[in-house]
Amino acid sequence: MEFNGDELTIELDMSMEEIREFEHFVRSRLEYIELIAVEEGTTLKSSALLALLVSLKRTKPELKIPFLEQGMSNSSAYGSIHWMCHD
Amino acid sequence: MARYIGCAMTKKEQVKAIFIEEAGEIIEKLDVDILRFEEDSSDFNLLNEIFRGVHTLKGNSNAFGFTRLGEFVHHFEDLLDYYRTTRDEIEEHYLDLFVGSVDVVKEVMICELDEVETLPGGYGEYLGKIKDLIAIKTNKTVVTVPQMSGVEPTIDAISMSDLAAEFGLGCQEEVSKTVTNCIKTKQISQEDGLNLYLINLTLDSDSYKRGFDHLIFLHLLKEKAASLDSFFNMESIGTLDNFLSEENKILNVSIVVLTSQSLEEVTEYFEFLFENEYLITLVEPSITGVIKERDIAPEKPNIVDARKGSDRRKDDRREPTETSSSSALTTKSTIRIDTIKLDELFDSVGELVIAQNFVAQNEKIRAIEDESISRAIETLSKITKKIQDRVMSLRMVAIRDTFDKMKRVVRDTSKKTGKELRLIVVGEETEIDKTMIDSLSDPLIHIIRNAIDHGLEADAAERLSVGKKTEGTITLRAFHKSGSIVISVSDDGRGINKEKVLQKAIERGVVTGDENLTDSQIFALLMQPGFSTADTISDLSGRGVGLDVVKTSIEKLRGKIEVDSKEGEGTVFSMVLPLTLAIIDGMLVRTAGEIYIIPTLSVVESFRPDKEIVHSLKGKGEFVSMRAQHIPVIRLSDVFALDVKRIEPWEGILVCVETGAGRVAIMVDELLGRQQVVIKTLGQSLSKLKEITGGAILGNGDIALILNVDELCPVFES
Repeated sequence: MEFNGDELTIELDMSMEEIREFEHFVRSRLEYIELIAVEEGTTLKSSALLALLVSLKRTKPELKIPFLEQGMSNSSAYGSIHWMCHD
Repeated sequence: MARYIGCAMTKKEQVKAIFIEEAGEIIEKLDVDILRFEEDSSDFNLLNEIFRGVHTLKGNSNAFGFTRLGEFVHHFEDLLDYYRTTRDEIEEHYLDLFVGSVDVVKEVMICELDEVETLPGGYGEYLGKIKDLIAIKTNKTVVTVPQMSGVEPTIDAISMSDLAAEFGLGCQEEVSKTVTNCIKTKQISQEDGLNLYLINLTLDSDSYKRGFDHLIFLHLLKEKAASLDSFFNMESIGTLDNFLSEENKILNVSIVVLTSQSLEEVTEYFEFLFENEYLITLVEPSITGVIKERDIAPEKPNIVDARKGSDRRKDDRREPTETSSSSALTTKSTIRIDTIKLDELFDSVGELVIAQNFVAQNEKIRAIEDESISRAIETLSKITKKIQDRVMSLRMVAIRDTFDKMKRVVRDTSKKTGKELRLIVVGEETEIDKTMIDSLSDPLIHIIRNAIDHGLEADAAERLSVGKKTEGTITLRAFHKSGSIVISVSDDGRGINKEKVLQKAIERGVVTGDENLTDSQIFALLMQPGFSTADTISDLSGRGVGLDVVKTSIEKLRGKIEVDSKEGEGTVFSMVLPLTLAIIDGMLVRTAGEIYIIPTLSVVESFRPDKEIVHSLKGKGEFVSMRAQHIPVIRLSDVFALDVKRIEPWEGILVCVETGAGRVAIMVDELLGRQQVVIKTLGQSLSKLKEITGGAILGNGDIALILNVDELCPVFES
């Protein structure tokens, strides 16, 4: 995870423990974060991270999360994952 | 779980019928579990189990539009969730709220099923109490809207926003539409040898803690999948204020997978989930888009603690977390089958037994002196017997559930009467025919209430004055006895005052007082219609209606009820029942060339009488005198108007049977033996004969009629 000014870059393959740490980290800093990017070549490891990203977007609608906005992700491990969330 | 569903119902009705059946089972279990929890409120495994039941009920209720039930269990679930997660000690005075809430759940369910608009009395009260308690426990202030007297809240008055959010109604439509389109696309490209499945995952909020993540299942499915698409409904995920990473907030994930794997193989991936957490549907490989529903949500295994399984998959990343539920340790695989199907199977096996007997007893076949044929017939006989026993056992269930229900009856009656008592249960494992068990609850409830209300002394002081402990004892017992099942309710109370019973019977003209009645005959008077010796009438018992109804109910099951009592020591009510309703143990007798079957349960003795003990009274028929009793003789030839040469009783054989009206001696020509026979219903014309309860086909193909001994009356000569 890299925090560069108002841009946060995360790896998708976080374990549950890492997701909990990320949640803790981002809760107190959400105000300053403008964009959350994901590191290329990483794949989701838990649906909890996807849920957390959605929750972050719900909490701060102006936050940019390009990965989330794609609405789907393709991977050899999980096939095509689509997510739907009405705001 | 495989289910048999009547084909006359529409798919929607079928699913609803399944829900109603399951909801009934959940509520029944809640009723039992909540009492066990009341006894030991530190059993958090049990609390978890209650929570799961309420949780499943909530999901299903809302899915079927039973929103009032859904609303109540939603808040009840919150309360249970608070205690199970915090492990906070439950104050004793709150336990009544738990028990009462289960009562409300039962009542609301009835309202929902009957589409009654008015909610049950306790709905608003208990919902308010639950909300207040949650508020107290979570230090939140809520304002409970005071209910106007006599006015119950309607669902309109109850906020639905939380339910709507939880069940993501808006987004779900979009998910459904997208999933349908995906299925259609996959069907078109579906090749031979590939199966298309729609899997719905609705993992509980604690699924991550239990080691289950949606992606684990996707990963497992992907290994053999030709294509795999999943659709995550994220509608229910809120802002960070209501979010915790370790709690699953994803409402629903629909998976469309095209794979070479069989249904069983796919099901195996999900076998450690709770059955409410997934539904696998095999999609027909047609372009019509019709989904063939095979609700195979696995009833497995009551495995609640999947983490302890030795066969956990390497890559499923389950972590050991909390312990298993207290009553979920058995890992038997079960299948739910409609009892109608079982009855049909049983009938078919009955036919098989008859056919096998016919072969074994056929004289032409027996005349063939060939060892291999004899051996084959013997083998056929053994296998047939084995099949018969196995099929019989399918109908047998332990009486435990019925006894569990009685614990509630004892608790409530004890509270109502203010009598301190303890319940002892013996023989819960005793198995009994499922059809019979359903008819046993009401008689048992009545006898138990009677035992507490009238059997036990009025209060502790009365018990102390006769040298007994203050606490009364009610014992519920089930056991096998001579091929029958006995279920008894005994109390250590006052016992029955025989003189009082006899006096009352004389006053009411039930007996004249000249009869030389045995103790059991006197006690049997209690079961005459309208008979009650209770000095006071309560809403529990003592109205003189009931015991006769109990007797009738037990007799309908081809059983009988016996009473034994010792004044000052207590009373025992014993229900003696046949093992099953489908087979009867009978004594085969022949009279006037016809074969009849007398239920063995009724037979007291059989004998050829001496001439000296047979008497004939003009207008009153024939009697046989035995042990200071005059027993009426019944000639079957008279009852059925058979044209035969009349013989004297001492030339024939008398079978003495116990009937509701006392003993009678049935006169027969010959005793053929004792045999278990499959009961067959009779055609319309014969079914009108009250002296016959059914028929049976014997091994040689002959038909025998089964006598209804209670309806046999002596036919007097004019």
